[in-house]
Amino acid sequence: MHIMCCLKPVPKPGTIKVDPQTHTLKREGSELELNPYDRYALELALSLAEDTKGTVTAVSMGPPNAKPILIEAYACGADRVVLLSDRAFAGADTLATSYVLARAATKLGPFDLIICGKVSIDGETAQVGPEIAAWLGWPSVIWVKEARVTNKTLELVRLTDSHLERLKAKLPLVITTENEINDPRPPSLKRLLTTLEKDPVEILTAQDLQAEPQRIGLSGSPTQVLDVFHPEYQSEQKFLSGPVEKLVDELVSVLKERGLIS
Amino acid sequence: MSIFIFGEWTGTDLHDSTYELLYEGRRLADILHTPLTVLFIGPPEGKEKAEELIKYGADRVLLALDQRLGDFRDDVYSRIVTQLLSKEQPEVMLFAATAMGQALAPRVAGTLRLGLTAHCIGFEIRPEDKALVQIRPSFGEDVMARIISRTKPQMATVRPGIFPKAPKDDNRTGHVETLALEEDLFVSALEILERQEVPVKDISLKKAKVVVAGGRGLQNKELFSKLFELAQLLHGAVGATRPVCHLGWVSEEHMIGVSGATISPKLYIGFGLSGALHHMVGLKGAETIVAVNKDPEAPLMRRAHIAIQADVREFLPLLIERLKGLNKK
Ligand SMILES: Cc1cc2nc3c(=O)[nH]c(=O)nc-3n(C[C@H](O)[C@H](O)[C@H](O)COP(=O)(O)OP(=O)(O)OC[C@H]3O[C@@H](n4cnc5c(N)ncnc54)[C@H](O)[C@@H]3O)c2cc1C
Ligand SMILES: Nc1ncnc2c1ncn2[C@@H]1O[C@H](COP(=O)(O)O)[C@@H](O)[C@H]1O
Repeated sequence: MHIMCCLKPVPKPGTIKVDPQTHTLKREGSELELNPYDRYALELALSLAEDTKGTVTAVSMGPPNAKPILIEAYACGADRVVLLSDRAFAGADTLATSYVLARAATKLGPFDLIICGKVSIDGETAQVGPEIAAWLGWPSVIWVKEARVTNKTLELVRLTDSHLERLKAKLPLVITTENEINDPRPPSLKRLLTTLEKDPVEILTAQDLQAEPQRIGLSGSPTQVLDVFHPEYQSEQKFLSGPVEKLVDELVSVLKERGLIS
Repeated sequence: MSIFIFGEWTGTDLHDSTYELLYEGRRLADILHTPLTVLFIGPPEGKEKAEELIKYGADRVLLALDQRLGDFRDDVYSRIVTQLLSKEQPEVMLFAATAMGQALAPRVAGTLRLGLTAHCIGFEIRPEDKALVQIRPSFGEDVMARIISRTKPQMATVRPGIFPKAPKDDNRTGHVETLALEEDLFVSALEILERQEVPVKDISLKKAKVVVAGGRGLQNKELFSKLFELAQLLHGAVGATRPVCHLGWVSEEHMIGVSGATISPKLYIGFGLSGALHHMVGLKGAETIVAVNKDPEAPLMRRAHIAIQADVREFLPLLIERLKGLNKK
């Protein structure tokens, strides 16, 4: 089975920079790391590929400084690692992002399965997976806990709000993984060393993907951030400071006042 | 012009979030002087409950009913929604950000090439052009973003638990239409084999009268776990910020905020947590907010009704000791 796994570069918490004009993330200026939830997606991809003697192609859309993420994926066992990188991709919302990833699936495929993480910790939309499926005209299943291949179909267990569902899905298919479903393997030192001799990361631009210019980046993004604001909270406030014993006493008397303790 | 919301069937009833969508959808429809339509997809046994949505504020209920729609199959459901939106071309389409809403909305948005704003917590109508302004927490620590969509219908998913449920009014009237469903809508790559209810781990966070929550300022798992002792003394529940869940100090069910639970206790005490907006969104219904933090400038300290400047390493153990002392008396 040939699998594409989507790995999102996200800013390290605390290094987030936002473009003051478009209010979109400036990924070039931030220190990037792998979206933590995508580790489960990669592990599932690698183990399904092992079971079926298939391949894993790890793909990220991001600026050049996202490369170390793909090197790590290579060291973990991905067969092919591809960075989709072009200034024209900047400012993409989920529709424009999923378009580029879907173009990559067509260009690098054919694939039987595309695996995404549950959600990214920066965008927090959980949209990109099902949207890739929509661009490709494929079915999709989200929040997958288990997946097993049985002749040309995938048997899945997915989580809904209140149920676990076992289902059978025809391929090709897009899935997103539930968190903490497996123990992601560490990078192999041996594979890591080979990357010092030969850089495994392939880089593809908008042109390489034959992406339509009006579908990518800011211009391909129907959602726009108008502005950002700090919510205001007006409340009458009691500010307490001083010796800790006194502060504890004051809190205890508030709790008593409100009948929360007797 | 019309506003559409998605009516979600749980298998036995409508999802609570559908009534929340009705509340906000009604408010927006009234501002725009436009009808509010619910699209209901489900098995025939959902018909009666769906029709009743008129009494909760809908002007029109569209029913896609079929025995085969008892299972949520992503491809079939999204085909029905997509087809209907192309035909009806509403201004706005809202889904709840439930498991089903999150599976369905992006499939529809991708197919129709539409913008989709995730997990909104508020909406405004822009006076000059009647655009739907969609509000959600943004990347930064303490900021909200106002987002608009250049495509129509303007689509968003709405965070469950944020809006109140629409009230029932027995005198309301409206139209119910049953949609004709062609056979090829049912072609699917998915087959549901088995469904098993998962016991929701009830940590009672959502119902607790008192919530004591902790953040990174508690330094380590040992001090954090003292919160469980405190919660017991106060007959409350323990909440947490996202980073401490990721650090493994406590399981994710305790998370409060955009990625976690929305709570409405009488009393909330936050220990060593900054009060980032992502966390505060979950406190929407809290009556009294107490902050314990060594930094008087922390957002939660500015927001709290009672702000206590203290080191949690001293404050928390002492508070527990005091309360235990009271119990003994
Ligand atoms: C898309 C997205 C979604 C998110 N969703 C959520 C969510 O659902 N829930 C959530 O909680 N977070 C969420 N976050 C993270 C959120 O933005 C904040 O980073 C997080 O809430 C901060 O956690 P914290 O307060 O524990 O840590 P910090 O921000 O590090 O704050 C620690 C606080 O402890 C204080 N402190 C330190 N030492 C002491 C001491 N000895 N005594 C007293 N005080 C002390 C410090 O002054 C500081 O105010 C999300 C972030 C993103 C980007
Ligand atoms: N720029 C990107 N490059 C690669 N994968 C991505 C990218 N953005 C999103 N994804 C994938 O889509 C999932 C959901 O992301 P999001 O919709 O941003 O919450 C992530 O876990 C990734 O698997």
